[in-house]
Amino acid sequence: MRDAIRFALNGAIRAVDDVPPHMTLLNWLRAEGLTAAKEGCAEGDCGACTVLLGTPLPDGAEGFDWRAVNACLVLVPQVDGRAVVTAEGLAKGGSAPHAAQTLMAETHATQCGYCTPGFVMALAALGRTPARDDESVMDSIAGNLCRCTGYRPILEAARALPLEAPAPEEAALAEKLREIAAAPLDYRAGSHRFLAPTTLDDALRLRQQFPEAWLWAGGTDQGLRVTKQFQVPPGILYLGRVPDLRGITEDKDGLTIAANTPYADALEALAALAPGLDGMIRRIGAAQVRNLGTLGGNIGTASPIGDTLPPLIALDAEITLVSAERGRRTVAARDFVTGYRKTVLDPDELIVAIRIPRPAPGTHIAAYKIAKRVDQDISTVAAAFALKVQDGRVDHARLAYGGVAATPVRAEKAEKALLGQPWTPETVAAVKRAVAEDISPMDDARGTAAYRTAVAANLLDRLWHETAEPGTPARLEAL
Amino acid sequence: MKLTPPARSAVHHPHAHDSALKHATGAARYIDDMAEPRGCLHTALVTSRWAHARLTGIDASRALELPGVHAVVTAADIPGENDVGAIVPGEPLLAEGVVEYVGHPVAAVAARDLETARRAAALVEVTAEPLTPVLDLREAVEKAHYVLPPSEFLRGKPGPALADAPHRIRGEIMVGGQDHFYLETQAALALPQEDQDMLVHSGTQHPTEVQHLVARLLGVDMNAVTVEVRRMGGAFGGKESQATIIAGIAAVLARVTGRPVKCRLDRDTDMMVTGKRHDFLLTWDVGVDDDGRVQAVEMTLAARCGWSVDLSPGVVSRALSHADNAYFYPHVKLTGLFCKTNTQSNTAFRGFGGPQGMMAAEAMMDQIARTLNLDPLEVRRRNFYGPEGRNLTPYHQPVEHFRLPEMLDEVLASSDYAARRKAVDAFNAKGGVLRKGLAVSPVKFGVSFNKPEMNQAGALLHVYTDGSVSLNHGGTEMGQGLFTKVAQVVAAVFGLDLDRIRPTATTTGKVPNTSPTAASSGTDLNGMAARIAAETIRDRMADVAAEHLGAEKSAVVFERNMVRAGNKSVPFGELAELCHVARVSLSSTGFYRTPKIHFDRTTNRGRPFFYFAHGLAVSEVAIDTLTGEWKPLRTDILHDVGASLNPAVDKGQIEGGFVQGLGWLTMEELVWDKDGVLKTHAPSTYKIPTARDVPRDLRVDLLADAPNEEATVFRSKAVGEPPFMLAISVWLALRDAVASCGPAGHVPKLDAPATPERILMAVQAAKDTA
Ligand SMILES: Cc1cc2nc3c(=O)[nH]c(=O)nc-3n(C[C@H](O)[C@H](O)[C@H](O)COP(=O)(O)OP(=O)(O)OC[C@H]3O[C@@H](n4cnc5c(N)ncnc54)[C@H](O)[C@@H]3O)c2cc1C
Ligand code: FES
Ligand code: FES
Repeated sequence: MRDAIRFALNGAIRAVDDVPPHMTLLNWLRAEGLTAAKEGCAEGDCGACTVLLGTPLPDGAEGFDWRAVNACLVLVPQVDGRAVVTAEGLAKGGSAPHAAQTLMAETHATQCGYCTPGFVMALAALGRTPARDDESVMDSIAGNLCRCTGYRPILEAARALPLEAPAPEEAALAEKLREIAAAPLDYRAGSHRFLAPTTLDDALRLRQQFPEAWLWAGGTDQGLRVTKQFQVPPGILYLGRVPDLRGITEDKDGLTIAANTPYADALEALAALAPGLDGMIRRIGAAQVRNLGTLGGNIGTASPIGDTLPPLIALDAEITLVSAERGRRTVAARDFVTGYRKTVLDPDELIVAIRIPRPAPGTHIAAYKIAKRVDQDISTVAAAFALKVQDGRVDHARLAYGGVAATPVRAEKAEKALLGQPWTPETVAAVKRAVAEDISPMDDARGTAAYRTAVAANLLDRLWHETAEPGTPARLEAL
Repeated sequence: MKLTPPARSAVHHPHAHDSALKHATGAARYIDDMAEPRGCLHTALVTSRWAHARLTGIDASRALELPGVHAVVTAADIPGENDVGAIVPGEPLLAEGVVEYVGHPVAAVAARDLETARRAAALVEVTAEPLTPVLDLREAVEKAHYVLPPSEFLRGKPGPALADAPHRIRGEIMVGGQDHFYLETQAALALPQEDQDMLVHSGTQHPTEVQHLVARLLGVDMNAVTVEVRRMGGAFGGKESQATIIAGIAAVLARVTGRPVKCRLDRDTDMMVTGKRHDFLLTWDVGVDDDGRVQAVEMTLAARCGWSVDLSPGVVSRALSHADNAYFYPHVKLTGLFCKTNTQSNTAFRGFGGPQGMMAAEAMMDQIARTLNLDPLEVRRRNFYGPEGRNLTPYHQPVEHFRLPEMLDEVLASSDYAARRKAVDAFNAKGGVLRKGLAVSPVKFGVSFNKPEMNQAGALLHVYTDGSVSLNHGGTEMGQGLFTKVAQVVAAVFGLDLDRIRPTATTTGKVPNTSPTAASSGTDLNGMAARIAAETIRDRMADVAAEHLGAEKSAVVFERNMVRAGNKSVPFGELAELCHVARVSLSSTGFYRTPKIHFDRTTNRGRPFFYFAHGLAVSEVAIDTLTGEWKPLRTDILHDVGASLNPAVDKGQIEGGFVQGLGWLTMEELVWDKDGVLKTHAPSTYKIPTARDVPRDLRVDLLADAPNEEATVFRSKAVGEPPFMLAISVWLALRDAVASCGPAGHVPKLDAPATPERILMAVQAAKDTA
C-alpha cells in the first residue's frame, strides 16, 4: 500500500502528497506553473486542456499506451503510475519545438492561440497513430474547439504530421512506472481518500467497506460533479487499475467487454461485431472522452440520453454484476435501468462485464444518433434497431431508443406492430404510429418533444430506405 | 527620400502571427497564466436567480465566517460610483435595489482560493420580492418595452411608393443571438499600487474604457489607473463593454482588501452573466416590380437589448445601416427597436448588428424571388447598387467603388455555379430523402465606427540605439493578427526585417484615450498611427543619414536593414546610435484620424463609412428530410481585402469569420426557460462548430489586384467582421433545399439558427403545402 501519488511529468518522476484527491490534473498543472493546458470549459467539451496520458503497456510489452485526455476531467491520483506530457514537455529535450508545434505555427493554425496547446496535444497523439485516413484525422481533433481559425489550417497541420516513433528512453520510464503501479494506492489528504485497488476482490471488498465512496472509472461523468457542481467526494474508489475490469474477449457466440474498458477499445470491438453501429460509435463523445470513458460507466450512469444502452438493448446484451457477498448475477440490458437514473445495481455491487451475443446471420443492425452537431454532442434522439426479414416478412425486431423518455426504452408496441408483417412502407407507417405510444419525450434545450417524436418515427423510414433501397443514399454521411 | 519596398517584403506578405510558436508551445501568457502575485485572492460572483426582482436583503455573514474569505462586496461597498454604463449611465456593476436578469451580479467574494470563494458565494443569502419579467422578444415588441426610443432611417417616400408597387410582399424572420464563446473566458487581475493607484491586467478590447470606469468605481482620477493587456484568447466583441464588469469587480475587491485580486469567470458564469449577440425580429413590407426589383421597402428591426442599453445604440444603428446589404432601395424606411427584456444585456459581437440587418435584406430577396418564381441570384443582381441614381444608401451615403457586380461574375465562373445549379435541381428532382440546396450571397460592409469621433488612434514608437524597435499602439491583440500587421507596417517604413520590431502590450500608460479595438478598424486606425510615428522618426533619422553619408536627404533610402544614399550605406542600428550621439530623438507618437467621415445621429444621415469591404460566397448544402440534419458540401468565397497587408492573416479572418457565422445561423442556439434561466451556458449544451461542420471543400480567394481606392494603410481593407456574413449563403442554401420539398412559389419558413429541428419543421411545412 502506498500513500503518495507518483507519476512521470514530462519525463521526470514526481511524488505528490499534498493535494486533495479530487483536484484535477488541469488545476494541479496550472498551479505548478505549467500553464500551456488551459481551462476552456472544465467539462471535457473544448479540448483546451488536452494532455497526453501514457499508461505502461501490460507485462511483456515495452513502453506506453499514449492517449489524449482532457486534464480537466482527470484527477491527480488517477495518473498515479502513469506518464503525463504537456505542451511544455513535448519539445524534444525541452529545446526544439515538436513537429506538431512548428506545423501549427507554419500553417497559420493559431490566431488567439488559446486553443492551440490543446490541438498540439491532440496532434501529438495522432502522430503516434500509425494507420491514418482523413476520417481519423478528423476524429483526432473532433474534441477540440477553435473559435478563431475555422479549422482548415489545423487540419492541414494534422495531415502533414509525420509518424512519431517512441523515444528510446520511454521503455525504461514505463518500466519504472509499472513497478510503482504494481502496489495499490490508498491516498489520504485530510478526511479525503482515494483508493486504487489492483484486484477485483479488493475492489469489491472496498466497495462493501466504503459504500459512500464514489466509483470512478473514466471519470467522464463523475468528473463533472467535481468541476461543474463543485461537489466534494467523501472518498473515491478508482476502478481503472483492476485488470479484471478491463479487456475484451470474443468467442463464436459473441463478445464480452469488461466493464471499464475504455470506449476507444470497446467501441472498436463492438463495431467489428455489428458494423451498423459504426456511425453512432464514432460520435460518442470525442477522442479524449473515448480514451477515458467506459461502457460500464455509461451504463452505470443510466442516463436517458446515454448512447450505449439503446444498441445494447437492441442486441439483447446482458450485464454481469458482482458483489463480494452474493457473487455474480446477470441482467438483461433492457432490465438494467429501472427509472430516471435508477438501476438494479446494489450498493455493494460492481458491473463487471457486458456480454453481447453475435447477431444472427441476416440481421440488419443500425444505430442512429441525432444531435445538433455531428461531433461531441449529446443525442437529442438515439435509436438502435435490429431487424431480420425472412421471406419478405419481419422475423425479428428490436427497436430501442434514447432521449425519448426518462430511461432508455425498448419500443415494444412498435416491435409487436412489426413482427410477422411484410417489410413495406405501409408497415413502416403503422409502426411509426405505434412508436409514438412507446415513448414519452420532453422539451429541453436540445429539442422539443414534438421534434423527438417526429424523429423517433422517421428513423424507421430511414431504416426502411437503408434496407429496401441500399443503393440510394439515405444518410448525409454518404454525400 | 523615397520608400522602396524592403526585400523580404514586410507588407503584402504572409508572415506568421507574431506569437504563433509561443501559442503552440504554451509560452504565450494570458491573464490566468501569469504568476500570481503574493497574497493574490480569487473571486466568485453571487448572482441573481430571479429574472426581475426587488432586492430585500443580502446577508454575507455565513460566507464571511468561512476560513480564507477576505471580503464580500455589494453595491454599498463600491468606493466611487456604481456605474459601468458604456454609452449611457445607469448600469450598476453590482445590482442596486433591483435585479434585472438571472445572472445579474449582486455581490462578489474574494478568498484565498477559487474553491473557497465559490463555497462562500453559495453561502451569501440574497432575498428579493419577485417582479414580473419580460422574457420574450415578441412580447417586448408588442408592449413597446424599450431601453431607448426607436430610431429611423428614411429616404424618399416609401408609403406612396409601396402603395403603387405592382407586387407587395410582407415577411418576417427571427434571427437568434449568439454567445461569443471566446476560448479564454473573461479575466482580470487587479494590483493595488502606491497611493490610490491601481494596475489592472484586463482581457479587454477597450483598455481606455476599463481605465475610465475603474477610476469611476474607485472614485479616483483616470491617471491613477493603468490598464494593460498583452493578448486575449479571443474576444469577438464580447470583451468590449463586458470586460469592464470583470475588471471592475477585481479592482473593487483589490481596493477593499488591499491585496491583488484575480477575477476569472468559469465558462458557465461567463455565459450566464455576460451579454451576447442581439437576437432580432425582422419584418418587412416591400413593393417590387415584375422583375423583382425593389420599388420601396419598410422594415422594422427589433433588437433584444436585454436588461440595459450597453452598446445597443451602435448595434442597432449598424443593423439599420446594413439592412440594405448590397441592394438599392429607391424609397426606404427602416425602424430600429431597442427592446428591453430581463435577460443578459446584449452587446458587441463581430458585425455589430450588421449581420442581423443583412439577414433582413437576404431573407427578403429570397422571399421576393420565390414568391415571383424568379431566380434568387437574378433578383439579387437586379437589385444591386448601381451608378448615380441607384447608388444612395438609406443613410444618404453614395456607394462608391462598388465591386460586387464584377466579383459576382468572377465567383460564378470559378465556382462553376451554373452547372452545379442544374445538378442540384436534378438531384432534388429525384425526390429522395436527401435534398440539396445552393445559394449565393453578397456582403457589402461599411468600414469605420458609426460614431465618427471614435475613428482615431495613437501609437508610440521607440527606436533603440541598437536599431531594435519597440512598438506600442492603442489596439489590442485578440488573435486577429493586429500586432503582426502593425509591426509589418513599421518594418516597411524602416526597411527592417519584421523581427526587429517588438510589439508590446497595450497599456493606457503609453497610448492614452484610445478607441476600442472593434468595428474591424484595428489595422486601419492603429496601422496608420504607427506608420505616422515611424515616418516621423524616419524623417529625423534621414537628416542624420544625409549628413553622415554626405548625400541629399531626398536620396536616402531605408531598405534591407540598411540606410543608403547612392553607393554609400550605414546599417540601421549604427544610424540609430549616430542619431543618439547627435541628440536626435528616436521616439515618437503617431496620431491618426479617419478622413472624410461624418454622421448626424439626429437625422441618421451622412457618410459614416470611409469605404466598403465586399465579399461573395456560394454555398452548397444537403439536408436529411427525415431528421432535419444537414451537411455543408462546398463553399466558394471571393473576398475583397484591398491590397492585403498579410494574405495569411486575412485568409484566417475570412475562414474563421465564415465558420463563426455558420455556427450562428445553424447550430448555436440560446435557450432560456420560462423563468428566464439560460439553459445553454456551456459547450455541453451550446454547440459551436467543430472541424466536421466546415465544408470539406472550402475555397477562399482574395480579390486580386484590388487596392483600396481610399488612402488606407498600404491600400488594404478591413477584414475582421465582413467575412462573418458570408455564412448567410449557407442559411440561404438550407432554405433552397427546404424549398425543393414544397411546390413552386413556396417560401420556406425557416428562422435562424436553422437547427435540425427547425429544418425538419420547415420541411414538414413545405410538404404540407404541396
Ligand atoms: C465531453 C463529454 C462528452 C460526452 N459525450 C457522450 C456521448 O456522446 N454519449 C454518451 O452516451 N455519453 C457521453 N458522455 C458521458 C460519458 O462519457 C459516458 O457516460 C461514459 O461512458 C462514462 O464512463 P466513465 O468510465 O467515464 O464513468 P465514470 O464517470 O467513472 O462513472 C459514471 C457512473 O458509472 C458508475 N460506474 C462506473 N463503473 C462502474 C462499475 N464498474 N460498476 C458499477 N458502476 C460503475 C459510477 O458509479 C458512476 O455513477 C460524455 C461526457 C463528456 C464529458
Ligand atoms: S477545459 Fe474544456 S475540455 Fe477540459
Ligand atoms: S485560435 Fe483562438 S480559439 Fe483557436
